[in-house]
Amino acid sequence: MARKSTTTVGKDTSRADKAGQRQGARILVDGLSHKFVDQQTGEVVQALEQVDLTIESGEFLTVVGPSGCGKTTLLNAIAGLVHPTGGEVSSDGAVVRGPGRDRGVVFQELAILPWRTVRRNIAHGLEIQKIPRKEREERVGYYVDLMGLSGFENAYPHQLSGGMKQRVAVARTWAADPNVILMDEPFAAVDAQTRITLQEELLRISTVSNNTIMFITHNVDEAVFLGDRVVVMTRRPGRIKALLDCPIPRSERTVDTMARPEFAAFTERVLQLVREEV
Amino acid sequence: MNSGRLPRPVLALLFVVPFAVIIGVWVVVKHALHVSDDALASPAGVLAAARDLTGWGILPFDVSRSLYRLAIGSVLAAAIGIPIGLLLGTSRTCVAMFAPFLRFFQSVSGIAILPLLIVWFGFTEKTIQIVILYTALVPVIFNTMTGVRTIPPVYSDALATLGGGRLHVIRSVYLPGALASIVVGLRLGIGYGWRALIAGEMLVGAGGLGFMIFDARRFHDLGQIIAGMVILGALYLVIDRLVLAPIEAATIARWGLERT
Ligand SMILES: Nc1ncnc2c1ncn2[C@@H]1O[C@H](COP(=O)(O)OP(=O)(O)OP(=O)(O)O)[C@@H](O)[C@H]1O
Ligand SMILES: [Mg+2]
Repeated sequence: MARKSTTTVGKDTSRADKAGQRQGARILVDGLSHKFVDQQTGEVVQALEQVDLTIESGEFLTVVGPSGCGKTTLLNAIAGLVHPTGGEVSSDGAVVRGPGRDRGVVFQELAILPWRTVRRNIAHGLEIQKIPRKEREERVGYYVDLMGLSGFENAYPHQLSGGMKQRVAVARTWAADPNVILMDEPFAAVDAQTRITLQEELLRISTVSNNTIMFITHNVDEAVFLGDRVVVMTRRPGRIKALLDCPIPRSERTVDTMARPEFAAFTERVLQLVREEV
Repeated sequence: MNSGRLPRPVLALLFVVPFAVIIGVWVVVKHALHVSDDALASPAGVLAAARDLTGWGILPFDVSRSLYRLAIGSVLAAAIGIPIGLLLGTSRTCVAMFAPFLRFFQSVSGIAILPLLIVWFGFTEKTIQIVILYTALVPVIFNTMTGVRTIPPVYSDALATLGGGRLHVIRSVYLPGALASIVVGLRLGIGYGWRALIAGEMLVGAGGLGFMIFDARRFHDLGQIIAGMVILGALYLVIDRLVLAPIEAATIARWGLERT
C-alpha cells in the first residue's frame, strides 16, 4: 500500500518544463482494479484486477497483452480519464484525479479533430498553452518534417491515410511536450518502413528528453526494441503477468545490437509469455 | 452521397423539373377545363399581379418587412439557441431532463401560441417577433443538443490531456462537432419560423407578405394570392441557398463530415 497523498494532479499542474532540465514524473499504480458496468444490460466487466506497477522517472515502459485485457483501461486510469473502481494512481506522489497536460496521450482511436488541418491539429496543445505564434510554427514545422507529413500541412484528416493520421496524433502529443507520454498502439497502422523510422526517432527523442513513457503495443519486437522494461499482461481481468528488463540499455540500441543473441533470446521469452495468454 | 451518372450542371438544374410539371398541370387544368379567373388565376395572371404589386411598391415593402422580421428572429434564435444547446448537450443528465420538454414545445406550433400572445401583447410587432423566435428557437436548441451528444467523447478527452479546459472543449470540439446538426436545426428553425411568421402576419395585420396575401382575399384577387404564395416559397429557397448552403460547404463538407 502506498502512502496516501493529499496533493492531487488535476489540470495543468506542471507548467511547460523545458527539455533538458526535465525529470519525467514517477508513476505509481497501486492496487488498481476497474469494473465496467454496461449501461444497457447492467452486465459487469472486470477489466483490471489488482494491478501494481511503478513506472520510474524517465523510464520507457512497454506493455503487451492479449486484446481486451485492459491495457487501454490502465492507460486511461493513469491519464485520469477513467476513475478506477479500486486502487489509485499517483504521479510524483500526487494522486491522479483527472486529466492534465502533464500526462499526454496518443489515443488508440487517434482522436485528432476532423475539423482541424494537420498543422492546426499538431499545434493544438501549443495553442492551449498560448505559445507565441512564431515558436508554435517552428515546433509544428519540426514535427511535420519528422513525421514525413510535408505537403499535407493544410490537409484535413479525412484526406489522410490511416498511417498518416496516426503520425499526426503522435506529433500533436509530442509537440505539446508533456512530462509523461502515454501511447496506445500509436504505430499500428503505419507501414513497416515508416514504423522503423518512427521507432528509432522515438528512441532517440526519449533518451534526450527524459520523459516517462508508457507505450502499448501488440507487436513484441516493437515492445522489446523500445522498452527499458516490458510488461506482459494476463487475459482479462488484466493483471501483471511478468515484468522483464531488457538486456541492452536503450541508448545502445540499434539494428545491430538487436541482432545479438541475448536480445533474440529476450524477444523469444516475451513472445512465449504472450502466447500463453492468447 | 450518390451523385448518379448525370453531369454536375445538369444535376444542379434538375430541381426545375417538378416545378415545370406542376405549372404544366396548372395551365392544362385552367384552360382545358375553362376554370374562371375567380376560382383560379392563370400563370400569366399571377405574373401580371406580381408586376402590378411591384410597380405600386407594395410587394417590395411587404417582402422586406417579412424578411427583416425573419432575420431578427433567426439571428436571435441562433444567438440564444446554440449556446443553450451546447450547454445542455454537455451533460447526459441535462439531455434526459430536457429532451421531452423540448419535444413537447416542438409539437406546440407557433401558430398555436398566437392566440395567447395576442391576448398578452395585442396585434403588435412584438407578437410577431415572439412567434418567430419561439418557433425557430426550439429546433435550434434541440438539434444543437443532440449534435453534441453524437460527438465521440475521445475528442474532449484528447483536449483535456492537452490541457484544454471547458471553454476550449466547447469552442474546439462541441461547436464544430455539432455544426452539422446545428445547421439542420437552423434550417428547420428558419423554415418553421418563416411559416409562423406568415401566419402571424395574417392574424396580426401589421404588414408583411402574410398580410398582403391575406388582404388580397377581400378583392378575390387570386392572382395576387398565388403570387404571394410563390414568392413565399421562392424566398425560402433563396435564403436556404444563400445563407445555409454556403455554411455547409465551408465547414462540414470541407471536413469530410456526413450531413446528419
Ligand atoms: N466503456 C466501456 N464499457 C464497458 N466495457 C468496456 C469499456 N471499455 C472497455 N471495456 C471492456 O474492458 C475490457 C478491457 O478493455 P481495454 O480497452 O482496456 O482492452 P485493451 O487491452 O486495450 O484491448 P485492445 O488490445 O483490443 O485495445 C474489454 O473486455 C472491454 O470490452
Ligand atoms: Mg486498447
